This record gives sequence, structure tokens and C-alpha cells, in this order.
Amino acid sequence: MGRFKNNKKSRVIVKPISKKNQEDVSHVTGDKIPKSFVFSRMKLPGSVKQLQMDLRKLMLPYTALSLKEKKRNTLRDFLNVSGPMGVTHFLMLSKTASALNLRVARTPQGPTLTFKIHQYSLASDIAQSQLRPRCPPDLFKTPPLIVLSGFGSQELHLKLATIMFQNIFPSIDINTVKLSTCQRLVLLHYNKDTKLIDFRHYSIRLQPVGVSRRIRKFVQNHQVPDLRNLQDVSDFVTKAGYGSESEGDEEAATVTLSSDLGRVNKGATKSAVKLQEIGPRMTMQLVKVEEGLCTGGIIFSEYGKC
Amino acid sequence: MSTGEEAHTAMAERGNRKRRVGVKKGTKAARNKKLKSKPSTSDRFKVTMKNQKLFQKRAREYNSDEEEEDEAKKQPEVTIREKIFSDANMGPNYDVIEEDDDSDRDEHSDGEDHGEIESGVTKFATDGCNAFKIAFKAIMKKTKGDDVLGPVLSAHKHLIAEKLAEEDAEKKAKGQAKKAKHLIAEKGHVKPGSYLDANEKILIGVATKGVVKLFNAVNKAQHAQKGLNPSRAKDAKVLKKRRKEAFFSELGKTKPDTKAEKSSNDDEAPAWAPLRDNYMLANPKLKDWDKKQETSEGDDFAGLSGDESYED
Repeated sequence: MGRFKNNKKSRVIVKPISKKNQEDVSHVTGDKIPKSFVFSRMKLPGSVKQLQMDLRKLMLPYTALSLKEKKRNTLRDFLNVSGPMGVTHFLMLSKTASALNLRVARTPQGPTLTFKIHQYSLASDIAQSQLRPRCPPDLFKTPPLIVLSGFGSQELHLKLATIMFQNIFPSIDINTVKLSTCQRLVLLHYNKDTKLIDFRHYSIRLQPVGVSRRIRKFVQNHQVPDLRNLQDVSDFVTKAGYGSESEGDEEAATVTLSSDLGRVNKGATKSAVKLQEIGPRMTMQLVKVEEGLCTGGIIFSEYGKC
Repeated sequence: MSTGEEAHTAMAERGNRKRRVGVKKGTKAARNKKLKSKPSTSDRFKVTMKNQKLFQKRAREYNSDEEEEDEAKKQPEVTIREKIFSDANMGPNYDVIEEDDDSDRDEHSDGEDHGEIESGVTKFATDGCNAFKIAFKAIMKKTKGDDVLGPVLSAHKHLIAEKLAEEDAEKKAKGQAKKAKHLIAEKGHVKPGSYLDANEKILIGVATKGVVKLFNAVNKAQHAQKGLNPSRAKDAKVLKKRRKEAFFSELGKTKPDTKAEKSSNDDEAPAWAPLRDNYMLANPKLKDWDKKQETSEGDDFAGLSGDESYED
């Protein structure tokens, strides 16, 4: 009896793997889609656990959102799973008494970048700090864009970091990409003076420019406006509501769309790009670069000469 | 001496028994020994007989009427309480006094019992009740005092106080340890303010620039193919042709640039293994990754990797 059950189970497991192998390659670009695991191999305090969950959400959709790790799981276990699943990147959080570390590794054979997280804020903290936190339902259904700034190509470890982060999310083909799928953005900003990397996660929103706020809200919300104080219906359109003051100085943040994007942003009109912070915020420092997956020769070390 | 012999014989008996499990009859000697051992047990009993009087007394007490028993029960209780109250203020040497009292009480109660047996029910109705009344009044008159621990526990007052102090100290230590642990756990956790500070604004500006750059590039690329449906075979062919042209034109433009880059790389490369052209190329598993790297390095043309990266 037991044997039959086991046979069934093994059959069930095999099927999705073969399917997933087909999904590994994106239909559009033909590149291999990078996938990631976010995990830790020790017991984390509550807030860091939450940070791990936020990072998983950030890495969506090509990550294991409810990955369960046990104390006895070694790195080799994850590595063994990663092969058939097509997982290409590991993000490992570890907490010591002195520091919180994030290791970003390319799977089968490295390299591994170790970041020391100096400061972090959770997604919930940031949502709390905002008046109207924004989270549309399909926000996490598409991979984020990544913007790297300040990483000069002179220093080699920074170049490696650039390459690593460029490849951690699926690449985009400019000719075929739909702008409606660009919902999120991950920013990595390197500060040369402090050697710190600012890690931010934003949601992208497009707003039509040159339309009064009232009309924009009317189109967006689909609600019957309050017309009690107006003499005529035309007043609603002609009466200029207070325009956003920031509209003027954000001339650089406008985009002319070639095609329609959603209901509000029509093609050939100007739209303003608005970013609102979501997800975790981290300030980290590149501490160590290892040749292998958490092993091997040290290529770069912040504290000691290698 | 006799008891020692007994023990020896008993041991011998046991040994014999053990050895002769299968044998049905014991030897005569063993029987004799058994017989001998019996009087010795009577000797043991004799020793206890010395306390026979005491046993008799206790038996009498035990077999007496229920009422008497009740009284006997009540009275010791009263005496205990009285004693505690009276000794409440005596402090540390209380225990010694209590022991003395115990012995006293035993004698005293014995005497009382004798009296009760003689006088019977009447004494219970008058004197016993009276004594109880006095005791009860004495208890009621006592004010509790403002001690939190109460009068009953006063015997162990200092002990309890010590224990409480110890617990308090333990709690404090535990709390401090917990706090320290929490501090370590929360190290680096910053809750942002409700306002946007300058640094955040700069970062948002940078990110916005990046997005605008990407979106403009996308629009520029997609504007050209406007009206052409990539799913239709005819249009797809046209698109392919255009892309090819664009690719080659870009290639022609950027060729000298990339060459220059490469030469500069070659100069640096030997110093640092991972950026050498043949770094880990020997490994077939990483073939894809290296390809990606190359494309992303020289992706200024149609942008196979749309990830925006630029330097300030």
C-alpha cells in the first residue's frame, strides 16, 4: 500500500518540473528567466523575518513566496532544488549580534556578494508613514525594473555588483514590452563618499498632464461628482481646480506615450511619471565578494586586503 | 548479640532456600533454625512491649466518642492559632518556641482528654465553649496590621520577603536580558518619518529619471512599428527586417567604442580574475550567464536587456 502511494507521489512531483523547464525561457525575449530563492539558514528575529518576506514579495513573480526552510537544511539542499527548478539567484539573510547581512549569490557556482545592512525599514513601516499607501492588486504580478545609479565602472567589485543586479530580474525587450507591465521599480544608488548603497522599491504610476485634478479624479474613480455648489454642469469642467504645484518643476518627469496605457493615459498625450515608495528600504554596504557560492577565494573585501 | 545471630540465621535460611529450590523437604537443621528464630521474634516484640501503656492510651483516645473527638480536634486548632498570633511579633526564634510549645501542648491536651472523659458532655457545653469564645474574641480583637504578607505567614515573613526580593531581582535581570536581546534584534531597524527628506527626494528623482529614460526609449522603439501587428506574418517580416537594419547600424556605430572598452579591459583584466574574458568560460554550465553579461555590457543598441543603468 505504502509503496503505491510513494509511486504516485513521485509521479506528481516529476510533472511540474518538466513543465517548468519549458517556462524557464520567456516567450518574448527568448532569454532564460532568472528565478530566485530568498531564505535564511538561522532563526531570525521578527523584524528581520518580515524583511525577508518583503524581499520575497519584491522578487515576485519569479520567486518562491512561501519557501519553508528548516534548521537542518543546508545550502546544498537549496542548491540541489535550485537545479531542476531553474533557480538562478539566492538571496540569503543572516543576523549576527553585530550586523545584519544580505548575501546575493548566483547559483550553481557563485560569485557571492555580501552586503552589510546598516539600516532598513519594512514595507509596513513605509506604508504607515504614508498618508495613502498605494497597492493595486496586480502590482506584484510583473517583475520590477531595476535602476542602478552611481555605480561607476572603474571599480571592479562595483562592476560585478552591477552585473549581478542587472541579471537578477528578467530582461526587457524594448520593441515588444508593454508599458502597463512596468509597475514597479527597484533603485540601487551608490554613494561614492560613504560607500553605501541605497536600496529602494517604488511603484510606478502614470498621470495625464495638463488636466485639472477634478477631471482626472472623475475619470479615475468612476464616481458621480458633487455638483451641489455649481450653477451649471459646464462649471465643473471650466472651473480650474487647483493644479498640482509640483507639475511645473517636474517637466523632466513627463513621458509622451505612443500607445494607450490604461483608461486614463491615452496615446500621444503627455503623462507624468509618479513614483511612490513601497516595499523594503535598505541602506547597505558591499563588504565581501567571494568566488564561489558562499565559499571559494575572496575576490574583494572591504575591511582587509585580499 | 542475639539480634546479630538472628540476622545471620535468617541470611542462612534464605541462602538455603535459594539453593534448594528443587528439593521438596528442608533438612532438620533448617527446621530447627526456624524454630529457634521464632522466640527471637517474640524477643523483638518484648522490646516494644515497654511502650504498651502508651499504645493503650492512644487506643482509648481513638475509640472514644465522636463529640470528644470533635472537641479534641477543635481545641488544638485554637491553640495553634492563638500561638501563632501570640508569636507573631517574636520573629526569628519562633521556631524554637514552637517546638517547645508542641511538647507542652501534647502533655496539656493529654491531660484535658482525661478530664473530658471523666466529666463528659456537660463540660463541653460550658467550659469548652467558653474557651473557644475567648480564643475567637482574641482573634477578632487583633488588628491585621498593615503588613501585606498577613499574620498567618508571619512565621516565614523574612523568608518570603527574601524570596520576593529574589524573584524581583530575577525578573529585573530577565527583563534586562530581554531588552538587550530585543535591541540586538532591532538593530538597524529604522521607522521612516512621515515627511520626505532631501535624500529620499534625490533618490526618487534619480529613479524617475531612469523610468523616463526607459519609457522614452520604449516609445521611440515602438512608435516606429506603430500600425504593424507583430502577430501578423506580413508585418512580422517587415519588423524583422527593420530590426535587423537597426541592429547593424547600431553595431557599426558602437564598434569602435566597444573595441576601446575591450582593450582597456584587457589591460586591467589580468589583475582581476572575474572580469577576464575567459573567466569561468571553461565551465559549460555558466555559458548562458556569460552571454547575458556580454549583451548587457554592450546593450546600447536596441536593448535586449532593458534594465536601465546609467551613471551620474
